[in-house]
Amino acid sequence: MSADANSSVSAFASASLAERAYRSTQISWTGLRVWFHYQVLSWWDKLCRRDPDARDLHAVHQKNADLIFRTAVTLRGMLVKMCQVIGTRSDIFPREYVSVLSQCQDRLPAREFASIQQVVEEELGKPIESVFTEFETTPVAAASLAQVHRGQLVSGETVAVKVQYPDIEHIMHTDLTASRRIAAIYARFSDNPIDFLPLLDELQTHLRMELDFRREVESADRVRDFFAHDQDVRVPRVFEEFSTRRIITMEFVAGAKPNDLSELHAAGIDTRGFMLRLMRIFNRMILAHGFFHADPHPGNIFVTADESGKPVFTLLDFGLSKQLPRGFGMGLFELMFSMMTFNESAMLRAFRELGFETRKGDDDTLLYIAKRMISRSDTGSFQGEFTEDMTDEMFDAVRESPIVKVPTDFVLVARAFSLLSGIGHAIGQRGNALDAMS
Amino acid sequence: MTQHVAIDQREFSFDELMTDDQFEESLVTNEIRCHGGYIDGEYVSPRGALRRPAIRNWRDRLRSEDQPLITIPEKYVPPNYPNYDQAKYLLQEGVVEPITRALTTIAIVEGFGARIREVSVPDFDTEIEESIEGTAVAHLSSGLFEAHARDEAGHRDQGGHKQMWEAARDAGLDRPEIPDDVLLRLMSGGPPAARKRLYPELSERMESMLLMMTNVLVIETFAEDTFNWAKKLLGDAEVSADPQRAAHLVDCIARDEVPHVDYLTVALSELRTRTLIGADGKTTLSGANVVDGVFRRQLRGMATVRPQQSRERSQADIHQAVSDKHRASSIARRFEELDSGWSFPHCDDEELDVLLKSA
Repeated sequence: MSADANSSVSAFASASLAERAYRSTQISWTGLRVWFHYQVLSWWDKLCRRDPDARDLHAVHQKNADLIFRTAVTLRGMLVKMCQVIGTRSDIFPREYVSVLSQCQDRLPAREFASIQQVVEEELGKPIESVFTEFETTPVAAASLAQVHRGQLVSGETVAVKVQYPDIEHIMHTDLTASRRIAAIYARFSDNPIDFLPLLDELQTHLRMELDFRREVESADRVRDFFAHDQDVRVPRVFEEFSTRRIITMEFVAGAKPNDLSELHAAGIDTRGFMLRLMRIFNRMILAHGFFHADPHPGNIFVTADESGKPVFTLLDFGLSKQLPRGFGMGLFELMFSMMTFNESAMLRAFRELGFETRKGDDDTLLYIAKRMISRSDTGSFQGEFTEDMTDEMFDAVRESPIVKVPTDFVLVARAFSLLSGIGHAIGQRGNALDAMS
Repeated sequence: MTQHVAIDQREFSFDELMTDDQFEESLVTNEIRCHGGYIDGEYVSPRGALRRPAIRNWRDRLRSEDQPLITIPEKYVPPNYPNYDQAKYLLQEGVVEPITRALTTIAIVEGFGARIREVSVPDFDTEIEESIEGTAVAHLSSGLFEAHARDEAGHRDQGGHKQMWEAARDAGLDRPEIPDDVLLRLMSGGPPAARKRLYPELSERMESMLLMMTNVLVIETFAEDTFNWAKKLLGDAEVSADPQRAAHLVDCIARDEVPHVDYLTVALSELRTRTLIGADGKTTLSGANVVDGVFRRQLRGMATVRPQQSRERSQADIHQAVSDKHRASSIARRFEELDSGWSFPHCDDEELDVLLKSA
């Protein structure tokens, strides 16, 4: 196993310069095509003396989003991560981009095992056989930064080992440099540019943190502590002695998907009050503890049954965890409450407490955004559930009113609530945050 | 002050039950316009112009039919913890956090009172044998629940009890820092256990509505002692930053709660006089048996186990807050000396009978 691994790794190293040049060219080419698709329409409108603002851009947004998605899936690595982040920023990007790019989930082709084995051995400082009696060479999941292998420790526990790709830091550098270049060109030639550079800065900071797996372990530990006495929640045990900056060794868990009713029933899970329980968990993290798992898509939550059939939720992947500012939970609660009663002055106070800003400090824009959001609810009033339709509508309104600054924390929380609402709708229940409190 | 309403008028529209008196001045506090207002310098509760006489007329009808009103025996009402002397002592010693937490929690819980508008009422035509025409029951979903919800949580540009409690807290305790753990403590209980049906013969809606109404009535009745406590404490010039304003706001809230207790009492008493029809359309149950049974069940938990647990939790929180202070042990000792104590009612169905008084 070792000799093969070494030859593969050296071949990979010699190819890495060419690979970086290839990535850089592909990213720039994609960026140029995206820009060109918009520009052609703009030139055509000018030629025909039409108002470019009146044009419906849905088709071209969709075409460009698909193009970026294809490039990301081909190049993988950091570009997929960037797409995932864009997929969370409904406040900045058109709905078509968010919808397509948020699909860049954990379904990527696996890396060859030799490079993975090298990382494991480098990080643990010993041969893989001395730690694991079994280590499956085919991963159970492969994502943008890492892939996960099932194994068994010498001590007998079955574990999941998350291993970072060996070249990911170089790829991050290459992709970010290329993206910055495209953003600069875009800013130079676009009539009404979105300022992508702060977003790229934020992305870079976020990715650096996410590449240090020790931080993810700390996040999991924090959430495990929050629910130490709560039988409804589990966070897999991490084997600290076999976890480092680039690998995490944790207890292997399996369970039903929370958005698949037949799977839940087959697992003997009593689904009465299912969403109330799940919302209560996220309410506690977001509103009470001020630290939360910000990516509750169905792949990150496994459900098992306790001895009486009640659901037990196992939370996975704490890479996107977020510390919220002090007072955020109370501010969010006040916003939800004032939206429920449509108390305008209380709503405005809550918006400001949460960090919403308007360029001229006008209240009407904030109220307009809230009204548009509420108008998309199933009942015509806000009862405590941020459905996907409502958050989409809210962020459409935000994008159309560039004078509004929405705090990133709020964007992530709204997205988390809307993902939970999506899980609820898939099983015929509501993901209502206020219901889960009362 | 009250609009003229004929004593035999017992049908009211939704809009009529929402109608305010002609206020001369609004109640504005914390820069928020609240509900209610002033007439001749006297605070008058919101949505009362016709709601008040309506409740009076429905109650009078019960009286004319010689039917009793349900009432909760005073011995079951748990006193507020900490009591006034204990709370005043804590404030004098600079231990503000437990009082701030308690008042903030009350404000939030009051706000959740708006959930009463989501109670789905059963189909009375098929689930009650006798007519309910001209009763409070007939008006539950066509104004009474909604008015109650608006009173508690506020509505549109008007703050309700949630905002008024917050304002009273801020006036009395001079805008104290809100403890970070208020929401955490509110959510600290486990998820609600699956409820066992009390009367499986009835429709789920009928039983849920009765449980909700009795639950709210018990809470509203028990709150009377909390109002007295808060009025006295926040109105005490020795510990309150703005005693007049703070006590006045609590007084306004207490007045607003009167119609809630009244309409719930009348509606539940009306239901006692009816025959309830089961979900199968054939089985019949005496309303008196069902309402009394639901009440006993609610009181058994709410008058015994819950106040006991709540008292123990508050006591632990207060000792925790005191432990950070200089002279912690002497403050804790004095605090316990001021406890007036209270023996919780024995948990026994027969003893927890709901008394009936003449309407």
